[in-house]
Amino acid sequence: MTELMRILRLARNDFSYFFRTKWLMAVLLSLNLSDMLVVALVYNKLMRFNYFQFFIPGIVIMGLFAAALDTGRRIWLAFREGVIHYYLSLPISLNGVVIAYLLAGGSAAIVYSSSLLLIALIVLPAQAIWSALILLPFLFVLAIGLAGISAALAALASTHGEYFFAYQQIVQIVLLTFSTVFYPIDLISKYLPLPLVTIASANPLSLAADAMRQYAFAGQPIQPSFLLNILLASVPLALIGAISYLTALHLVRVKGKL
Amino acid sequence: MRNVIRLVWFDLKQELKPPVWIVLEWLTFAVQLFIYGALISQLVTAPEVGNYQQFYAVGFVVMMTFDIGSHTGRSFVEHAHEGMLPYYLSLPISRAKLFLSIALQGGAELALLITVPLAVTLALIGNITIVSVTAAVATLFCLGFGIAGLMLGLSFIAFKSSDLYTAITTGLSTIIIRFSTVLYPFIFLPPGYASVAAFSPLTYGADLVRLVLGFNPSVLLNPVYAVAVLAALAVSTLGLGMFLLQRLVEGVKSS
Repeated sequence: MTELMRILRLARNDFSYFFRTKWLMAVLLSLNLSDMLVVALVYNKLMRFNYFQFFIPGIVIMGLFAAALDTGRRIWLAFREGVIHYYLSLPISLNGVVIAYLLAGGSAAIVYSSSLLLIALIVLPAQAIWSALILLPFLFVLAIGLAGISAALAALASTHGEYFFAYQQIVQIVLLTFSTVFYPIDLISKYLPLPLVTIASANPLSLAADAMRQYAFAGQPIQPSFLLNILLASVPLALIGAISYLTALHLVRVKGKL
Repeated sequence: MRNVIRLVWFDLKQELKPPVWIVLEWLTFAVQLFIYGALISQLVTAPEVGNYQQFYAVGFVVMMTFDIGSHTGRSFVEHAHEGMLPYYLSLPISRAKLFLSIALQGGAELALLITVPLAVTLALIGNITIVSVTAAVATLFCLGFGIAGLMLGLSFIAFKSSDLYTAITTGLSTIIIRFSTVLYPFIFLPPGYASVAAFSPLTYGADLVRLVLGFNPSVLLNPVYAVAVLAALAVSTLGLGMFLLQRLVEGVKSS
């Protein structure tokens, strides 16, 4: 069996674990679907602005983010439960383990968010479904980047569960709050100081949510430079995550623990 | 009583060393209120709501109360499955005292967690009295105990499948929050959703707290119903929890 096949088998194993975790599926689905079908709809009645149309693409990106972040929980569990030693005993390189986890995290996130996108397309007719399909590979790279952040947090927290979940919550709140997932950039620039506006504009979640709104749902022609920005924002995150996880794996191999 | 307090402290000190979760919840509240709440309130134009940031602040405190109440109920079930429950049952204290210690621990956690967010919310709203603050705190505790009891009441599922219990309670928690008046007034809910929200305890908790803190009563539910529902919830679910502890927990297998 080649290294590539081993990576794919390990990735498939982790990918299926994500969808087999019942409580996680219950949390993610109930959260995202109720945001889509309840919160967006009711907020729309409280505002003159068409919030339903604005928020639905944001929820798809929130789903992608939440599913990608779960990669870190699975990596942390592998450290805590000792499953990592089993992975290290497999005939696969350390790089292979890292690639498998990031691939699995990205794939789980893109499959999960695609299911949300399908529901979004039913409740909010899109102007350009083809644009949504063109966006998917870029969202996959973004999901790998977000899985990378999560992997870095898991490596940083080591076996301390309380720290891992605390880091994860901080990252989740900061990235979502300082983004255009919930509110337009015009509003952010009116009320927040310039450095925070810059962070919100460059935030990969803002880029993805805006791309989904403009290209898939509003039907504007896709700007290649915008897609390039998504890649430029995602690849460094994936690299940071890969290096952190690789370092952690190396430490476990040499010292037997983190 | 000393044994009860010792048991409360035994569990509580694990949360306080270090108090990561409490500080994190306070930070989350601050970011949610002063960034998310402030920005969303600029988009909310319905005149009936008034200042949405204040409306949201109360809603967030109610959500925190719900979270800690459900955490108390769920941690009891987790203890059962991690093997802690047989240890508790072997202690030389009565089941009633054990139940009291669980309830007191939940109350202490709730007090620790919501003190700062509630103080910030009251400062934001302003124009408050001792009576209104006392009534708001009493409502939140009543809601917290009711939710803890509800989660304990559902624990019979956990004795069959812990995974299924976690899936049901976490999924249910999200639905209970979204189908309630925590984030928006009842009159803005579509009729289908409003009938579901009428069964959510958070609807009554959030509206009663808002009423005692001086929000526009025309967008809130009748306080008589709210008091009746919250009192009934707390008494009935805690009663059910006590029954479960007396009858069902003996012989629970650890997994």
